Amino acid sequence: MRLMILILNGLTQGALFFVLGSGLTLAFGLMRVVNMSHGAFYLLGGYLGIAALKLSGSWTVALAAGGLSIALLGLVVERGMLARVREGADLSQTLLTIALSMIIADVALAIWGGHPLSIRSPAAITRPVTLFGLTYPGFRYVLMAIAVLIALLLWLILYRTRFGIAVRASVDDRETVSALGVRIDTIYSLMFMLSALLGGIAGVLGGTYLQLSPGEDTTILTYSLVVIIVGGLGSLLGTLVSALLLGQILSFGLAYAPEMSMFLVFVPMAIVLAIRPEGLFGRRT
Amino acid sequence: MTTEATRHATTIAAAIVVVALVALPAYVGQYTLTTFIRTIYFGFLALSVGLLLGQGGMISLTQTAFFGLSGYVIGLLGTERGFPSPIPELAGLAAVLLLAFVFGLVVMRTYGTVFLMLTLALGQICWSFVRQNTSLLHGWAGIRGIQPPSPFGLDLTQHAIFYWISLAAFGFGLLVLWRLAESPFGLALNGIRESPRRMSALGYPVFWLRVTAFVIAALYAGIGGILAAWSSGIVTPTAMQLSRTIWILLVVILGGAAHFWGPVLGTVIAVWLDVLISQLTPRYNTVIGIVFVAVILVAPNGILGVLEKIGAAGTGPGRWRRNLFVPRAAEAAPPTHGRGGHT
Repeated sequence: MRLMILILNGLTQGALFFVLGSGLTLAFGLMRVVNMSHGAFYLLGGYLGIAALKLSGSWTVALAAGGLSIALLGLVVERGMLARVREGADLSQTLLTIALSMIIADVALAIWGGHPLSIRSPAAITRPVTLFGLTYPGFRYVLMAIAVLIALLLWLILYRTRFGIAVRASVDDRETVSALGVRIDTIYSLMFMLSALLGGIAGVLGGTYLQLSPGEDTTILTYSLVVIIVGGLGSLLGTLVSALLLGQILSFGLAYAPEMSMFLVFVPMAIVLAIRPEGLFGRRT
Repeated sequence: MTTEATRHATTIAAAIVVVALVALPAYVGQYTLTTFIRTIYFGFLALSVGLLLGQGGMISLTQTAFFGLSGYVIGLLGTERGFPSPIPELAGLAAVLLLAFVFGLVVMRTYGTVFLMLTLALGQICWSFVRQNTSLLHGWAGIRGIQPPSPFGLDLTQHAIFYWISLAAFGFGLLVLWRLAESPFGLALNGIRESPRRMSALGYPVFWLRVTAFVIAALYAGIGGILAAWSSGIVTPTAMQLSRTIWILLVVILGGAAHFWGPVLGTVIAVWLDVLISQLTPRYNTVIGIVFVAVILVAPNGILGVLEKIGAAGTGPGRWRRNLFVPRAAEAAPPTHGRGGHT
């Protein structure tokens, strides 16, 4: 019974990791930029979700508000900062996102303070659900379902829409795609918005399932980076596999070696980098 | 002015600065002296980041972990277990060298953004380890009551003596770094920064040269960490946290990462700015973040880069480079790992 609970905890954690990592890895695959403010996006999305919940009283509205406001922020950041230093300067872009994360975290601290906050989920989905004789919080099943839904939607977007075709082609050859008349800047902006949207949604989900506090942004960013490095940068499937793997490691680590739980997450990363530096599903160049 | 006259002027100015620094305890109060000591130990950390970034073109976010590690080791062995000096200090530096070597083996397979991500992850893992570990390292509380030793009868608890020792160490550190930049090793490192592939084709052991640079840089951070622990008497997870890591990176870029004196100038400005801003607003990180954005967008080569452009500063030894963040030519782009598609 305890084993099942731990596995379910790991799945919940893994689902959150997937929502966080998928946006990050897709944006990296296309734009060669690692958004170092992804953790800050998560935190801010969660806080805005709390504010929206207070105003509307609806958790669904909070989820939408957290996601969409961060998507909008993503658009502003992409147009206002990243697009200014694009050509051949992916390190400058990454540094800009680092600075941004510092500002966001500090502003969030000024507004929401240093105490941990969490989002109350609606009674209808908070109730424990008993499945196969196992009682487990209902919201965690909801979180897993949302992650599965997001995975399906991302797959559909990438493989069944014109946007997805343009994205996949741009990953391989940006110049040709641009020459074919696709507005590459628009593709970039949309992708960064999608990535930010997922970060904001993850913030509301994480804020409901865990709690939000200063410092959480860098912790989440670290987990997300480990997830996408292990999975292989740019690979959606890789992110899914490594998110599930790391979720289990974290869950069992917390249960059996609480002082080492974060440290244990590092182990698969070291092994993967030593054997397969491009990550589990990364493409070798 | 002729070049001869310029050189004379530079020598005289340098002599004045050195004398002013050495005589400092005679004419400033304890607060100012402590701030200078802080400048020195953060200066070591900045040199660590600057060596990798300026010479090797690598943005490492792990250096604060080494800074914290040496502090933790001397706190653990010296303060808590009572080993006599210099055992804790040597053990601290040995731990730094060992960890840097192991981390170097992992991160030096990568370049550019992936390198940055990896070093961030490693640094954060160290941070979370010291934060979570309550049995040995006391979690958030850290280790308190660290005392500097008294080598050769010198009483390091006196601020002036501590300052002179730190200053001497820093001067020596700068000298070594200057020689390093002019050495074949330094030049090879510059070559790797420009084009790892070509250097590899020329027969240079690119991977091992980069690992060596990482270990040397870590040593500088470790020395800074020991001075910091002695001076403040305390080591906590804060020493390793990400905002500190980002701060020191900004310091180096602000001063001018492509210049020998960039990290030093950046540290002096940032530490004093810290003193000023902290009196005005609690939103220090916001101010620093905005400065960071402005520097990268407007003057990515930092203050010395701007001065050089208007002809007021030289670059220093070795082959330092104008813009570290833009590859000189397409072929200079390093082989990236895990360049992915969508699976």
